[in-house]
Amino acid sequence: MPQTIAIVGASLTGASAAATLREDGFDGRVVLLGAEPQLPYDRPPLSKAYLRGGMPFEKTLLRPPEFYRERSIETRLGTRVVGVDPEKRTLELQGGERLEFDSVLIATGGRNRRFPIPGLDLPGVYDLRTVADADRIRDAIARGGRAVVVGMGFIGAEVAASMRQCGLEVTAIEPFKTPLYRALGEEIGRVVEGLHRDHGVELVLGDAVSAFEGAGRVERVVTRGGRHVECDLAVFGLGIEPATELVAGTSVRTDNGIVVDEYCRTNVPGIFAAGDVANHYHPVCARQMRVEHWQNGVKQGAAAARSMLGRAQPYDEVHWFWSDQYDANIQYAGFHAAWDAVVVRGSLPTRKFMAFYMAEGRVESVVAINQGRDLRRALPIIKARVAVDPARLEDPNVDLRTLAPAEKPG
Amino acid sequence: MARFVTVAKADSIQPGQMVKVEIDNLPVAVANVGGTFHAFDDTCTHEDCSLAEGELARTVVTCPCHFAEFDIRTGAVLAPPATVPLKVYPVRVEGNDLQVEF
Repeated sequence: MPQTIAIVGASLTGASAAATLREDGFDGRVVLLGAEPQLPYDRPPLSKAYLRGGMPFEKTLLRPPEFYRERSIETRLGTRVVGVDPEKRTLELQGGERLEFDSVLIATGGRNRRFPIPGLDLPGVYDLRTVADADRIRDAIARGGRAVVVGMGFIGAEVAASMRQCGLEVTAIEPFKTPLYRALGEEIGRVVEGLHRDHGVELVLGDAVSAFEGAGRVERVVTRGGRHVECDLAVFGLGIEPATELVAGTSVRTDNGIVVDEYCRTNVPGIFAAGDVANHYHPVCARQMRVEHWQNGVKQGAAAARSMLGRAQPYDEVHWFWSDQYDANIQYAGFHAAWDAVVVRGSLPTRKFMAFYMAEGRVESVVAINQGRDLRRALPIIKARVAVDPARLEDPNVDLRTLAPAEKPG
Repeated sequence: MARFVTVAKADSIQPGQMVKVEIDNLPVAVANVGGTFHAFDDTCTHEDCSLAEGELARTVVTCPCHFAEFDIRTGAVLAPPATVPLKVYPVRVEGNDLQVEF
């Protein structure tokens, strides 16, 4: 049994791991280290309620300050960990301090991807990852005017929606044919396109930004297609890359994140990883995968904690996430992969439906708009990985709970 | 002052079913768990979503929007993203009148 467990990364995953260690009775030392100065907070509101100004920061805290005190979870905030020595089992903190550990969980998450676009560093061009980023965008929103959103993935789409809700004029530029194209494909992407157009977003699709221009501050965005979009602020959301630099140059294996097995173990004993940074083996799909989902942060953080205590269960959650845009609650579950058919249950035009992404007759993943109850009922179908009759999936009178085989005991 | 308000006919809510009612303009969910009724705030404590549109499994309600879970007997949070307990209300059946103390 370890005596000291260090957790690098004090966000959703790290906080979930720390709480689970105590819930499961670990009475050794727990040190939770975070580069940001705040206690662990919830990031989903940063692109939604918090960005719109409708939520105080305290409401985003995952747990109140006393939670950590009462459980003797040592929080080291505003503390960047710059190195790990797998042999000596020490962390090197910024400033030179060393911290010995018996086991360490790396939950460093990701950082926003930046592309070498001219003018990306101009004042008035923002990206969103932390509450400090959100505060800067909030201040810009409060000044009003015209905004450009670059990239209509989930973050871009949520920011576009929030800025429309705050009364800004919004133009969104997306290189693919539709918003959320890579996740949802063209048919469902068109539904999301309609959602944003109906709320007054001007969408520029199939075009990419070639430069941000302005005299000392962004004034316009120029596209490869030759458009000049005048603006007062711009926000780009171009995805994240896993923050693996802590283990660079060590024996810990990386490949699109830190490679771990279904017990959150790296190839080095005593070193674990979970959350956005972890490229994990998923037993349901029998392959490695890395996801950037809220639920994965909670559940994999907890799974890693149990694994560190020698009580490992294979981490086999069906991945799931949500995105709220205007009045649309979008949920997605499953394992993103190539699909050969999309089966729709409900009505696309009214934006109240589920769409099943099928491969060889199986449901690989599901998206739902304003159909959360049914989406939850579809999770066992995804996990079962057996062929399902599409006619029954699309029939709203068929209870989805009847379509999955009963779970095997044990 | 608290009083019992008739919100529905008891036999109109089947076991395993939840319905949303309004008391003083506040949405309240009423659930039938194997013949025992429970009443609780219909709006999830996380965000503005109707719990009656979620899933009921015995005494656990799951919010349809973000899958927060509550024990409807006590209001305790069983799964995040909710962190604040749900308000629950005493229920009684008078004849066929389902009444919530409010």
